[in-house]
Amino acid sequence: MYMYKIGVIGDKDSILGFKALGISVFPTNDIREANRLIHKLARENYAVIFVTEQLAKDLDEAIGEYKNSLTPAIIMIPNNRGTLGLGIDGVKKSVEKAIGSDILFGKEG
Amino acid sequence: MSDGRIIKVSGPLVIAEGMLDAKMYDVVRVSDKNLIGEIIEIRGDKASIQVYEETSGLGPGEPVVSTGEPLSVELGPGLIESIFDGIQRPLDIVRSASGDHIARGVQVEKLNKTRKWNFEPTAKQGDAVKAGDIIGTVKETSIVDHKIMVPHGIEGTIEEIYSGEFTILETVARIKTKDGIKEVQMLQKWPVRKGRPYKEKMSPSTPMTTGQRIIDTFFPVAKGGTACIPGPFGSGKTVVQHQLAKWADAEIVVYIGCGERGNEMTDVLMEFPELKDPKTGEPLMKRTVLIANTSDMPVAAREASIYTGITIGEYFRDMGYSVALMADSTSRWAEALREMSGRLEEMPGEEGYPAYLGSRAAEFYERAGKVVCVGTEDREGALTAVGAVSPPGGDLSEPVTQATLRIVKVFWGLDAALAYRRHFPAINWLQSYSLYLDRLGDWFTEEVALDWNNLRMETMKLLQEEAELNEIVRLVGFDALSLKDRFTLEASKSIREDYLHQNAFHEIDTYTSIHKQYRMLKAILLFYHEGQKALSEGAFYKELTTLPVREDIAKAKLILENDYESFDVLEANIRDQIASILSKGGKIVC
Repeated sequence: MYMYKIGVIGDKDSILGFKALGISVFPTNDIREANRLIHKLARENYAVIFVTEQLAKDLDEAIGEYKNSLTPAIIMIPNNRGTLGLGIDGVKKSVEKAIGSDILFGKEG
Repeated sequence: MSDGRIIKVSGPLVIAEGMLDAKMYDVVRVSDKNLIGEIIEIRGDKASIQVYEETSGLGPGEPVVSTGEPLSVELGPGLIESIFDGIQRPLDIVRSASGDHIARGVQVEKLNKTRKWNFEPTAKQGDAVKAGDIIGTVKETSIVDHKIMVPHGIEGTIEEIYSGEFTILETVARIKTKDGIKEVQMLQKWPVRKGRPYKEKMSPSTPMTTGQRIIDTFFPVAKGGTACIPGPFGSGKTVVQHQLAKWADAEIVVYIGCGERGNEMTDVLMEFPELKDPKTGEPLMKRTVLIANTSDMPVAAREASIYTGITIGEYFRDMGYSVALMADSTSRWAEALREMSGRLEEMPGEEGYPAYLGSRAAEFYERAGKVVCVGTEDREGALTAVGAVSPPGGDLSEPVTQATLRIVKVFWGLDAALAYRRHFPAINWLQSYSLYLDRLGDWFTEEVALDWNNLRMETMKLLQEEAELNEIVRLVGFDALSLKDRFTLEASKSIREDYLHQNAFHEIDTYTSIHKQYRMLKAILLFYHEGQKALSEGAFYKELTTLPVREDIAKAKLILENDYESFDVLEANIRDQIASILSKGGKIVC
């Protein structure tokens, strides 16, 4: 059976812990490098790529590119300085798209 | 000759009786006003005559005299730089004889009979010659050597040949034939409705380059080929025709203005003497013959103008020249046919055009071709015919367009939507075709570059992909496209705007040599390939598409001819700038 891989991209302090779980870590603070990394990992059979929100906010292009493909799934995570709310926004949008209304966070009325 | 009487007048059609010994297509003189006409139908002793001049004021009983000769053109030195009407009357002479509008029955010489030309013999006494052999040349203009050929029907040995200044009516050689001595003058006559003979028709193998990028790259016409330009009003048929007349790689250009606006002919007359031929540096007018039958001139002469033009073209072809003939527009010619057919009360075909429209159009276009000329020498000459068609409402299913498309091998379909977007020349790259592409492929590989054909095919593929992608965009929106597809759209936009679009009125852009076309196309595709690679390696799409080098690609059309170093620099820049966005780090700027 073919093994898919999981990777995480972000600043070193936030992501180093993932290494203990056996996930490949790619520490970087550089937006260009992060972009190149996403495309590289996508080619190298990574099925899940975690990206810190701080980087992801400038990576719309690459994230949008893989949104409609099966792999990789690009998932935004908060970094050690807290969340920007991007990840939750993403989930919210997906839910809205799937069932037509926001049942998770929406206020009634 | 027979002496007839008019019995009926209907516009340009006159019916005369008492024309017993008249023959089909004989030229007749109608009434005391001496109007020129041609017999187009005979029933018993009644002849139907199409009159090439206004017929108002004519009435039954007036005389009709047949000249016994078919409608002919006079061929000889003096053709180049002239402007004739549909039946080869020189308009400048007509003007001095009758003022701004052609007076009826005005009689002028077709060619100047008093001007002396310097005849230099190339054959000598005792040479055996036959029809079509060149016996001497006349330097007609600084770029055209008018070759004097032995007229058809004469074969024998040269008894005497002279050298010096002659008018076209004076004898320049005496040839001893088996029927006695024949005197040869520079002037020849040829009936316009009969194609001049040739030894053999060859398959066209070299393109006629035109300096127009979309034509030369995607839809080339061969020397000796046929092409048509159909397009709705205002889509730029005339400008394309003018561009071809200006820049086509032909030694002689015959331009027939057939039923179009007079101002357009004026443009030609004003511009051509000033424009320089890119090869010789001489004014373009010095290789051009103009035939003008503008929309205000009589309808019947319009029908003749096409034949007059192509006969002159064939004459120069027989000298071994490559001739380009432009007819603008053949629709007006077909309408003239329709008008005559209607007045003759013939059974109308589609949209009232006569049933023989297709065969007449074929007759005209079939006179084009690359041939081995008659004569011992086996010269090769080519006559390329390009006809504009003006389908009403831009509807290509109308009879004239259909009849033309059945015969011609190149179709440059002009598109009103492109013209509306100010994309000129508005030749639609998805509809147009050239059936010469396969045959000309070898020429491009040898003369331009080994990868030319691949380059061309890839570019065309990109343009087709663009059309497909645009369909998707219309259905589900731009966001559904992947970055690669978006980049394909960018590249095809670049092909459209930086390559296919060409400004006919810009000093440099108006003409692009085939070698420059190759370098331009190569630069655009280089950017596309390098960009695709960079995208998959993780370059930012936004940054890639806003690189400063893209502006340089857009300006490549303004690089001077032969300045290939600029193209080397451009290519190096494309590579450098794309490599730099891949290697550098930091914030993105756009």
